[in-house]
Amino acid sequence: MNLEAVASETAERLHQARHLNATLAWSAEALMAEARRVEALGSSGALHGLPIAIKDNIVTTDLPTTCASRILEGYRSPFNATVIDRLRAAGGLVACKTNMDEFAMGGSTEHSAYGRVLHPLDGARVPGGSSGGSAAVVAAGVVPVALGSETGGSVRQPAAFCGIVGVKPTYGRVSRFGLVAFGSSLDCVSVFGRTVEQSARVLAAISGEDPHDATSAALPPLALEPPRGDLRGLTFGLPREYFPADLHPGVRAGVDRAVGLIRELGGTVKEVSLPHTSFAVPTYYVLAPAEAAANLARYDGVRFGLRAGDGTDIAAMYRATRGRGFGPEVQRRILVGTYVLSAGYYDAYYAKAQAARARIRGDFTRVFDAGVDLLITPTTPTPAFKAGDKTADPVAMYLADIFVSAVSLAGLPAMSLPAGRDAGLPIGVQLVAPAWHEAPMLAIAAALEVRLDPTAEVR
Amino acid sequence: MTQAELARLAALAALEIPDDQRPALAAQLERIVGYVGQLATLSTGDSSPAEDAAPPPRFRPDEVRPSPLIGSLADFAPRFAEGFFVVPRSKGPGGE
Repeated sequence: MNLEAVASETAERLHQARHLNATLAWSAEALMAEARRVEALGSSGALHGLPIAIKDNIVTTDLPTTCASRILEGYRSPFNATVIDRLRAAGGLVACKTNMDEFAMGGSTEHSAYGRVLHPLDGARVPGGSSGGSAAVVAAGVVPVALGSETGGSVRQPAAFCGIVGVKPTYGRVSRFGLVAFGSSLDCVSVFGRTVEQSARVLAAISGEDPHDATSAALPPLALEPPRGDLRGLTFGLPREYFPADLHPGVRAGVDRAVGLIRELGGTVKEVSLPHTSFAVPTYYVLAPAEAAANLARYDGVRFGLRAGDGTDIAAMYRATRGRGFGPEVQRRILVGTYVLSAGYYDAYYAKAQAARARIRGDFTRVFDAGVDLLITPTTPTPAFKAGDKTADPVAMYLADIFVSAVSLAGLPAMSLPAGRDAGLPIGVQLVAPAWHEAPMLAIAAALEVRLDPTAEVR
Repeated sequence: MTQAELARLAALAALEIPDDQRPALAAQLERIVGYVGQLATLSTGDSSPAEDAAPPPRFRPDEVRPSPLIGSLADFAPRFAEGFFVVPRSKGPGGE
């Protein structure tokens, strides 16, 4: 493999795709340096010569890390995230840093301080979010794989909107050392890919215990399984709460297509119930802002990043730095988080949401304990929506997460697989597995992938 | 959400919010808090402590370990001098 050619071709594709506004930092020189570094490693790595885009909330020493926020404009980390070190050790090339919703808060990548990301198939639409830049560069064929992050669906949702694979691991499977914290009980580094096989290879390479992250599970790296030839002996659950009467007909047709294929391959399909599903979005929008309000307290203008104010009073400096450095959605979430944690409201909101989270987790446990191997649901309630459609109403934007947030609250592995298109727009089907069952989930997804033409119209 | 409540939250969160943005922001927060308020309908009467318990934390030995920092704190601090982060004086409650 000519690695310098890989680097220069990747740089050319990044240049051609700049109209998408999907990247925040890259350079041909940095790519060439990556190629020379991989050349020196030899050709044994599992990701040898694979260019990989990186969401801009994963820290890197050689490219800036801004989280798409003014408060971190130009910030350069003094250390690399563990996932960056692992990608590089496996022979991957860091290609670029990608645009995102500011601090990963959003579902459309319209909440970036550096402008919205365009959907590669229709520039009037959003690519989803918050990892919309990573999804767009994979969908546009700029890079084969990318890292994103999930707090409440921020990889699966844009993967569905853009017609690519998006895999969220079990909470604790992948180190978060160097992933900028948003909701620490939820955050997971996650993977986008053009194919299941490439996504799985990247996930395996970055997985495994990390002494720098006390929440990483004491497990060896993920051991992948070969794709399954058929699905005999497996039981697939369709949770009835994920198929409301008003589900978008194109989304329903896409999931029906996948379910039909599962039956053809010998899988057993049955309806199941996850009765606390309707509480997932409100639970998420209490717990994630509460954790964000605490995590984002560190951006105060003292140690790094932006500092604003006239320099005469430290409290005024904190307020000015945060008021001018954070965008509107981040400010809303900090204020909501502050509200639900404040005296007089804590029990009604935060404590109640923790109880709801336990029940949501319990729903999944009961279904899997009853013999279901994998759940099948839509990833999103609609295909990619138009830019500006949901920016005026934060709750309308939050409801785009309706099928992805429960899985995040339960800490389970899940993925979105392209199931076809409706009127030219991609539809994703979501697969949800029991904790630590990424390998069988990916092996089943690979069996479906070869028979599901991602560009075929679903109705 | 009243303007007084918004002012209290903004003070707790250390956020400067321009006056002309306060009415719209209060309305948005009202909408969000109203939406998440549906959690009140969740019955928690059958709560089982085992189900509600978070996974136990994993502790590491309390010992000094090498830091992977590649540069000096001074390289990315807004103001740094003689080994200290330089900040303005504290003038508010508890300050000067």
